Amino acid sequence: MAQRRSYKGLIAVGVIVLLVVIMVSWYVSARNSLVEMEEQVSASWSEVENQLKRRSDLIPNLVDTVKGFAAQEEEIFTSIADARARLAGAETVEETAEGTRELNSALSRLLVVVENYPELRSNENFLRLQDELAGTENRIAVARRRYNERVRQFNTRIRMLPTSLVASQLGFEAKTYFEVDDEDLEVPEVDFDS
Amino acid sequence: MHTTNTRDGGTVDVRLAGPSRRLVAALVLFGAVFVFSGQIAHAQEFPEPSGFVNDYADVIDASTEQEMTALSEAVQEATGAEIAVAVVDSVAPYADVEEYSIRLASEWGVGDREDESGILFVLAMQERQVRIEVGYGLEGAVPDGRAGEILDSAVVPALRDDNYGEGLLAGMQQVAGLIAEEYDVDLSEQGAQAPSSRTSGNGSSSGGGRVLYFLFLMFFLGGGRLFLPLLFLTGGRGFFGGGFGAGGGGAGGFGGFGGGGFGGGGASRGF
Repeated sequence: MAQRRSYKGLIAVGVIVLLVVIMVSWYVSARNSLVEMEEQVSASWSEVENQLKRRSDLIPNLVDTVKGFAAQEEEIFTSIADARARLAGAETVEETAEGTRELNSALSRLLVVVENYPELRSNENFLRLQDELAGTENRIAVARRRYNERVRQFNTRIRMLPTSLVASQLGFEAKTYFEVDDEDLEVPEVDFDS
Repeated sequence: MHTTNTRDGGTVDVRLAGPSRRLVAALVLFGAVFVFSGQIAHAQEFPEPSGFVNDYADVIDASTEQEMTALSEAVQEATGAEIAVAVVDSVAPYADVEEYSIRLASEWGVGDREDESGILFVLAMQERQVRIEVGYGLEGAVPDGRAGEILDSAVVPALRDDNYGEGLLAGMQQVAGLIAEEYDVDLSEQGAQAPSSRTSGNGSSSGGGRVLYFLFLMFFLGGGRLFLPLLFLTGGRGFFGGGFGAGGGGAGGFGGFGGGGFGGGGASRGF
């Protein structure tokens, strides 16, 4: 009986030690993978900011070119400048999204107005700039999609068992998606020939 | 005495079995959650590339396709950059050619891994759209404005006349010229060899290539399945990763692309 008891005790201790080892190693790996995922979220956010910056930098060139042909569209130039300034001062994801939305709508108004100036539309410099702008917008879309995908993975992970048990305790919080209304992103197609 | 002993042993066994069974169950559950929690299914939506030129819609004639492949091989040999072509019926389920193109380019990993020097031409027949996707490393050599210019001047006019192969080839030649400038190499030497080897058309080397390609396919179909669970355990593929084989082209079969990355540079046009 006594021998059985100590044997039983040994098994119990062994099981507990095993459990503790498993728990600790799980905890460490969960924590590490959360840190890694959070890093990936911020890296992909930098890429979004890079591309937004790149577009912002393109705009003065574009505006200057348009001004050469359509100087009287002062109101649009002002709203573009305002949106650009607001975007430059954005700190959070929400503020950036707000500034981007504004700039998108100002830019699409500009591109509608451009349709009234056939000379401008066939200007080589303007065509090149328009391609650069479209390319940058596509880069923004790609960076945004990658960022949102990272955020989705991160947010899913910290809400899913068993990681959710430790995530909030370790100070990991859900990240914000970067949402810009897609309809604003589309350049409206206006056909003045018909 | 004898019976008590057995009964005693019996009760001990039962008492041990209760908690230990629960423990085992908990451990198994724990392990299962642990293993499955990290998994996000990666659906394979794109076909594997069969070479530099992938004409899924079957609109390019054989000799033009050979010329395009020869050009890509010459560019890769001289610079390491890869120019790939995909002609598809439709970009569905993706919204537009831009989204399809960036996903396909990243999935294939077109371009050298170090230099990220990949170019992908995507032609979508149903949407009647064409795009040049430019890898990170070539954004300087082929800026968006230049890509748009190439589409306007060389590609779109031919596409409008239903000369799909010719249009794409003309676009590839212009892009190849820009890449050659960037790497400061002269493609004309390799370019001169390419047509002659095409006309001689020795069956033995292309047969050898096919065998190698088949072996390669076998390896990756088999290997891929074996390694898939391992990939999941280590967190899956890189997001931008793309690219499977070390590739390197070399003699014979197509070894996959180098693993270049893409950020959405390039230009698109309707035709």
